[in-house]
Amino acid sequence: MARLMFTRDHIKDAFHAAVPIMLGYVAIGIPCGILCDSIGLDALQVLLLSALFYSGAGQFMIPNMYLAASPLASIIASVSLVNTRQMLYAASFAPECQNVSRRLAFFFAATVTDESYGVSTAKFAEGGWSVDRALMVNLFSQTSWTVSNVVGVLVGSAIGIPLDIAAFAMTSIFICLLVTQKMTSANIVAIVLAMLGVYACKAAGLTGPAILVGALLGVAGAMAYAGARDRRIVAAARAASGEQGREERS
Amino acid sequence: MSWEEFWMVLVICGACMLACRTLPLLFLKGRELPPALSRALGFIPPAAFAALVANDLLSPGMFAAGIWPAAVPLVAALVVVLVAAKTRSLLWSAVAGVAAYALLLAI
Repeated sequence: MARLMFTRDHIKDAFHAAVPIMLGYVAIGIPCGILCDSIGLDALQVLLLSALFYSGAGQFMIPNMYLAASPLASIIASVSLVNTRQMLYAASFAPECQNVSRRLAFFFAATVTDESYGVSTAKFAEGGWSVDRALMVNLFSQTSWTVSNVVGVLVGSAIGIPLDIAAFAMTSIFICLLVTQKMTSANIVAIVLAMLGVYACKAAGLTGPAILVGALLGVAGAMAYAGARDRRIVAAARAASGEQGREERS
Repeated sequence: MSWEEFWMVLVICGACMLACRTLPLLFLKGRELPPALSRALGFIPPAAFAALVANDLLSPGMFAAGIWPAAVPLVAALVVVLVAAKTRSLLWSAVAGVAAYALLLAI
């Protein structure tokens, strides 16, 4: 394809878009590294986890569950279950990825997170965005996450960061992404059902798949709602044209 | 955690993660997306963000030990909603959220 990618301007665009994520990852990456240090992981292991696994929720869960003496199989199963929500993220970029190489699409998908998914979704919706920029947003974010985790391991528990406050930076990012969605009636159906679904899963003790199940419920509900609305519109149009036909005949 | 345990976790969790992240996109790429599917893909953002927010803010029995400080994240979330609606900026939302959360915990 003739279109230029990874130009200086694209790198700049991507960096600007990634700054909020990078700062957020510093705030939660350092505590995550400290936690990993507390179960005896060293800097190399944390580097490998951040580079090859790259999952905020997962990298918190592993040391937390290990400290709680969970068996290894249960740690692996829980972490993998929580991460199944990632299936929805990259898939939602299928239309944007139709015209790029498989390799670019693969690397973009392989480095998506909750936060970078959100930023790229917003940027593609604004327009003037591209998959190479989106991949670079992912890579800037991952670099920040990796460096912060390694710093966390190296400083150990020498500095204290209140984790609940630091983690609220990520919650705030999700809230902003939610608030800036187009509030069509079908989207509101998706939002309300997704929230109810998460709450119901948690109430039933299914905290692992709560996000995936909630999100799927939201999508399914919105599809049903939009489908019913389409059928109503078609029926109304048919009724109107039917009446018109009768008028013409009479 | 020993190196053997570490490798088990890294390889299995890493492989599941990579599969979840890449397979759906690689499967859909290069195919004509049916209209119903692209419509469903369009509902993923609001549903996913709502699920992530609900997962962070809501849990059954959260008020079991009283309204305050259990409501601190909810009030801070309201502040973020206002800031997000006004600025549409992720950075300002994160700064406002963390500041509101820390202030509310302090009072």
